[in-house]
Amino acid sequence: MSNETSLVEMIEGVEHQRSARRNFMRLCGGAAVMTGGLSLLAACDDDNGNDTPTPTPSPTPTPTSAAVTDVDVLNFALQLEYLEANYYAYATTGQGIAGGLQSGTGTQGSVITGSGTGAARQVTFTDPVLAQYAREIAADEVAHVTFLRTALGASAAAQASINLSGSASVTTPGGTAVGAFTAAARAAGVVGATDTFDPFASDENFLIGSYLLTDVGVTAYRGSARLISNKTFLEAAAGILATECYHDGVIRSSLWQRGLAAPTIYSRIKQISDARDGLDGSTDTDQDIGDATTANLVPTNASGLVLGRTPQQVLNVVYLARTQVNAGGFFPAGVNGNVRTSGAN
Amino acid sequence: MADSAELIEALDRRVRRRDERREFFRHAMGVGALAAGGVAAMGFSTAARAQTAAPSDSDILNLALNLEYLEAQFYQYAVSGEGLPASQLTGTGTQGAVTGGRKANLTDRTVIQYAREIAADEVAHVAALRTALGSAAVAQPAINISGAAGGPFTAAATAAGIDLSASGGVFDPYASDDNFLIGAYIFEDVGVTAYQGAAPLLTNVDIVDAAAGILAAEAFHAGIIRSALYARGVATPALRTNADKISDARDLLDGTRVSAGPPNIVADDDQGISPTTVNGQLQANIVPTDANGRTFSRTSEQVHNIVYLTRSQATSGGFFPNGTNNPNAALTRSGAN
Repeated sequence: MSNETSLVEMIEGVEHQRSARRNFMRLCGGAAVMTGGLSLLAACDDDNGNDTPTPTPSPTPTPTSAAVTDVDVLNFALQLEYLEANYYAYATTGQGIAGGLQSGTGTQGSVITGSGTGAARQVTFTDPVLAQYAREIAADEVAHVTFLRTALGASAAAQASINLSGSASVTTPGGTAVGAFTAAARAAGVVGATDTFDPFASDENFLIGSYLLTDVGVTAYRGSARLISNKTFLEAAAGILATECYHDGVIRSSLWQRGLAAPTIYSRIKQISDARDGLDGSTDTDQDIGDATTANLVPTNASGLVLGRTPQQVLNVVYLARTQVNAGGFFPAGVNGNVRTSGAN
Repeated sequence: MADSAELIEALDRRVRRRDERREFFRHAMGVGALAAGGVAAMGFSTAARAQTAAPSDSDILNLALNLEYLEAQFYQYAVSGEGLPASQLTGTGTQGAVTGGRKANLTDRTVIQYAREIAADEVAHVAALRTALGSAAVAQPAINISGAAGGPFTAAATAAGIDLSASGGVFDPYASDDNFLIGAYIFEDVGVTAYQGAAPLLTNVDIVDAAAGILAAEAFHAGIIRSALYARGVATPALRTNADKISDARDLLDGTRVSAGPPNIVADDDQGISPTTVNGQLQANIVPTDANGRTFSRTSEQVHNIVYLTRSQATSGGFFPNGTNNPNAALTRSGAN
């Protein structure tokens, strides 16, 4: 455990250096000149073809507060990993992650499964290959939780209350609410305003639920890379980003292939993508999987760079809110940690 | 080709060693202990080698550009029968030509879609890196992507011990859907490990940001290629075992050096796709990860060991018959493993 203490101390030391560096950069006029071309390109998102490239300098604006530390960024990632790990754990085993992996700073919450249709539970997979993918992803996500908690040591934030349900009505710390998967699906128009979406009901629904969460995880790590100053953690975060992208490549290509026989998959995925894009503001951060004629399995801009979200944009999506709030959607009591407020879009 | 027998022999040794190691971990530690050990190790430098002069961001981007030239040419030829436009090949160093690319005989609509999208991304990566580097961009070096008997794909497949008796001892990645996927597999994970290993060496935050975006795209590609091989492996089991063999060969080529890093280098940094049995149930291995759920990093030297197809220190070979281009000579060499 003394190693964890020294890690945190090391991070704090780096924070001081970073503050000094930021002051230096501010004096020198901001972003370095040699990378101007690349940053401009990175901002040149061309995915839906309905917008002209805007000369914003960066796809991932600097955070509003200069006080975001590596610990804050890693704890924010940990909150998303709790969500993903529990989703895949329930889908493959019918249970959430181990109790020993949930403790930490902030208010510890439990997984709200709901009951009846939409309840978080083990999926009865009909495609054995999909079941094998799901088990692998579940194992990776638990490993991410374990790794981040170990790296953060005593600074690790607890698992927050997680609405993992597709049920029509669930009881949350904030009162009665709609299961978050159903709330997201209704908002996107994937189901009717009074229908439910049950991600645990079938292979296809499980994949759509996976798309909903894993795509967001990818953009979160992608957008956070520039916020991490410690190089050991940057490399570790790059390794987790890559793993999430492998997962997402599997999920998106599985969905696309199934869409050849069930074309409504393409329209439903487009609705979810559009809804996420609507939540997180005017920057284009999301892409669907294309259609039977043209696949779009990798959500990239014109430079072939995968799209990213700021932490605030990620919270817009998981809170299912376009406004500046501290809780909602999948996190009815908000996430734990210092990064917890969504953007005002 | 003289190396092949030696490679295969060493490969056999390596597989045995890994089996032994796996047994050891299974008995002695278990996954939890492994994870904790990995993190604790981050605090202590066990790096065996002194760092030479740190490469600049521009050197690292040029390393990436060489790999992107290779990937872009392979996919572009496979999809269209033509390579990158001439305007995308110029730069510092010695410009070279492409040997042996051709349009692949793809028939499965899914594979065709995958190939087209990946080709477009790789071409975009070349353009993005060239734009970012400006006048510092290196030219495309000579690239050999021939599927013929003397070409690097056949050399790689032979070294990996893939049974080529049905195709006259030749592995042609352009011959079929399955062969194309195996050919792509040879590169894809390597790109991911190269970007990951380079990430902690970059200093400029905008370049870190862009590199993360390209790393992510390469990982998507790898996930798509690996899962396609895995799914098709239900009907054609050799696809899974051949992918496993290529991973073992890459693992052999890039040595067993260990460094706490960053970049964090481990001896066993490559994995095939065949499933494992966990708690009595099959689990795919689409993502090559350590016990912490992270993909692996490779150094520039290790990446060159693979693309040069050699375990030795060399400045050319395999897919780059005249070597890669880089003003920093250290980033054109493979390691002595």
